[in-house]
Amino acid sequence: MSGDRGDHPSREVLERFLLAQLPASEGSRVLRHLLAGCPGCQETAGEMWQHAPGAQRQPAVLDAELELRYDEVLDRVFKRVEIAERSIARERATARELLATLEKHPIERQRMLLRNSQRFRSPALCEQLIEASHHAGFADPGRARELAEIALELVSSLDSEDALGLSAIQNLESRAWAQLANARRVSGDLAGAEEAFERADRSLCRDGAGLFEEARLCDLKASLRKEQRRFPEALCLHDRVIAIYQSLGQRHLLGRAYTQKAMVINEIGDYDSAIALLRSALELLDPKEEPRVFLVARHNLIWSLCESERYREAFALLFHTRPYYLQGGDRMNLLRMRWLEGNVSAGLGRAEQAEVAYREVGQAFGELGLDYDGALVALDLAILYARQGRAPEVRRIAREILDVFNARGIHREAIAAIALLYQAAEREQARVTLVRRVSSFLKRARSDHEIRFQLEDDAS
Amino acid sequence: MSVLDNPLLESSLEAFLECLRPRLKVLFIRYRIPPIDTEDIVQQALLALLYRWRSVRDPEAWLVGTVRNKCLLYWRDQRRKLYDAVDTTVLEWVAVPLSPAQEAADVRRDLMSVIERLPPKCRSLLSLRYGLGFEPPEVAKRLGYRTSSISKVTTRCLAALTRQLFAAGIRKKKGWE
Repeated sequence: MSGDRGDHPSREVLERFLLAQLPASEGSRVLRHLLAGCPGCQETAGEMWQHAPGAQRQPAVLDAELELRYDEVLDRVFKRVEIAERSIARERATARELLATLEKHPIERQRMLLRNSQRFRSPALCEQLIEASHHAGFADPGRARELAEIALELVSSLDSEDALGLSAIQNLESRAWAQLANARRVSGDLAGAEEAFERADRSLCRDGAGLFEEARLCDLKASLRKEQRRFPEALCLHDRVIAIYQSLGQRHLLGRAYTQKAMVINEIGDYDSAIALLRSALELLDPKEEPRVFLVARHNLIWSLCESERYREAFALLFHTRPYYLQGGDRMNLLRMRWLEGNVSAGLGRAEQAEVAYREVGQAFGELGLDYDGALVALDLAILYARQGRAPEVRRIAREILDVFNARGIHREAIAAIALLYQAAEREQARVTLVRRVSSFLKRARSDHEIRFQLEDDAS
Repeated sequence: MSVLDNPLLESSLEAFLECLRPRLKVLFIRYRIPPIDTEDIVQQALLALLYRWRSVRDPEAWLVGTVRNKCLLYWRDQRRKLYDAVDTTVLEWVAVPLSPAQEAADVRRDLMSVIERLPPKCRSLLSLRYGLGFEPPEVAKRLGYRTSSISKVTTRCLAALTRQLFAAGIRKKKGWE
C-alpha cells in the first residue's frame, strides 16, 4: 500500500464523492487517494458510508434553514397535487360515463371503439375496466376475461407522456395483466394464468410507488400457486404481501393478507398455525370496512378449530359469529354456517343436531346443483353414521354419490375413491377412518386432478 | 373520483397535506434527502396515492410508507451511481496508458491490493474486468454466470470494491457499536 498520497480531500469533497456528485476529474483524484490507502480519509469516508441514511436512531433535528427549503418544495408540490386531484376527479367521472357507453355495445364493437376513438384512451377508463373485471370475478369469469383483455388493449395505446408518467402506465399495465391472469385462473386456464402473471411481473415498475401493485400481484399469484398446490411458493408470495402492507402501515389489508395465508396453511394441514394467524388477522380486520373478509376469517377460524377437534372453542365462536352470517344474508354463507354447525354438533356428540344440519345443507346444495359440495356434506353425514354403526346408511350415501359423480362426469380418481367406499360399505366394512380418508381425498382432488387415492391397510 | 368524496378522508385534501407536512420533513431529514431531490419523491408518491385512493385504507400511513421506501430507493440509486463512477474511473485508468509508467504501475498495484481483499468470486470477476479487459458477456462465460445475471453480479462486486476503499472506517465504526 502506498500510504498517504498528496493533499487530502476535505470532508465536504469526500461527502460529494460518496454522493457521486464530483466532476469526473476530481472524483478520479479522490478515488486514487483512497485507493492508495490513506488511513485518515478511508476512516472518514467509512464513517460517512456507515452512517446510512434512515439508520439513525436519534430523532431527526429540524434545522430552521433546511426546514424552510423543504417547505418551499412541499408548497410547490402540494399546489400541483391539488390541481392534479381535481383533474383526476374529472377524468374518473368521464371514465365512468365512457364505461357505461362501452357496456352498451357487444364486445367486438367495444374493441373497435377503444382502437379507433381517441376519447376512450384514458388511464382512468383502463382502471375502471380492471375494476369491472375484478367485480365480474367468480360470478362471470368469461366477462372478467373480456374486460381484462380490453383493459390491456387500452393500456397499450396510452401515451406515457401524459400526466401519469411512464411508471404509472407500467403499473397500470401490470395490474391489467394480473387481472387477466386471475380471470384465466378462475376459468380454469392455469397455463394462460401463468403466462399472464409473467407479463404482469415484467411490467411492474419497482420504484417504491408500485409496491401496492406488487402486493396485489403477489396476492393473486399466490391464489394460483395454492390452486396448483405449490404451497411453499404460495406462502413466500403471501409473506411478501404481508411485508409490503406492514411497511405501508395498512392494518386492514395486512389482516386480509394474514387471512389469505392462513388458507394455504390450512391446506397444508397445520391447523394450529392457521388458528394463530387467523386470530392475528381478526385483530387487524375492520368488520365495518369489509364485512365479507371479516366473516371469511371468522369462518375459517371456526373451521380450523373443528379440524383441530377444539369443538368447544368452535362452538363459542360460531355463536358470536352467527349475526355476521345473518347480516350478510347470502344463501351460500348461510349454508356454510349451517354446515359448520353440523361439524361442531358432531364434534360435541350432538348427533341428532348434526344429522339435521347436514341433511339441510346437502339438500340445498342439491337444489343449487353443487354436486361436489353436496358429496362432501354427505360424507360428513356418513362419518356420523359410521360412528354410530349405521352401515346401511353409509352404503346408501356412497351409492348416491357414486351415481351423481358418474352422471356428472366427475373425474375418474374421485369416482374410484367413492367406488371403493361403496364396496367397503357393501361388506359393512366402511369404518370412520375410511370415510374420513375418502372425504379428505375428495377435498384435495377438487383442485388436484393428478392425485391418486391410496387405500392403506388399516383403512378398511 | 374526488378525494372529498371519500369517506375515509373527512377533511379536504389541503388539510390532509398540511397534516402530513411535518412527518414528511422529518422523513427527509432522517434520510438526509437534499431538498432539491425531495420534489420528485413526494410528487410521485402523492400522485400515486390519488390514483389508488379507493384501495388504500389508511392514506397517511400509506403515504409515509411509500415516501420512506422511495427514500431508501433514492439512496440505493445514489450508491449505484457511486459504483458506476468508481467503475468508469478504474476502467479509464486501466485502458489509457498513464504517464509516467511508474504511476500506471502504482495504480495497478494499489488496485490489485484492494481486489485481493475481496471475496473469491469478486476477485475473479474484477481481475478479468480490470486486469484482462474482459467485457461482461465474456466474464459471464468464463465464470459460468448467465448473461442475464452478470450485470447484477458485477454491481455486487463493484459495491464490495467500493466498500473496501474505506473498509478501515467501516470496521472502526462497527467496533464502536
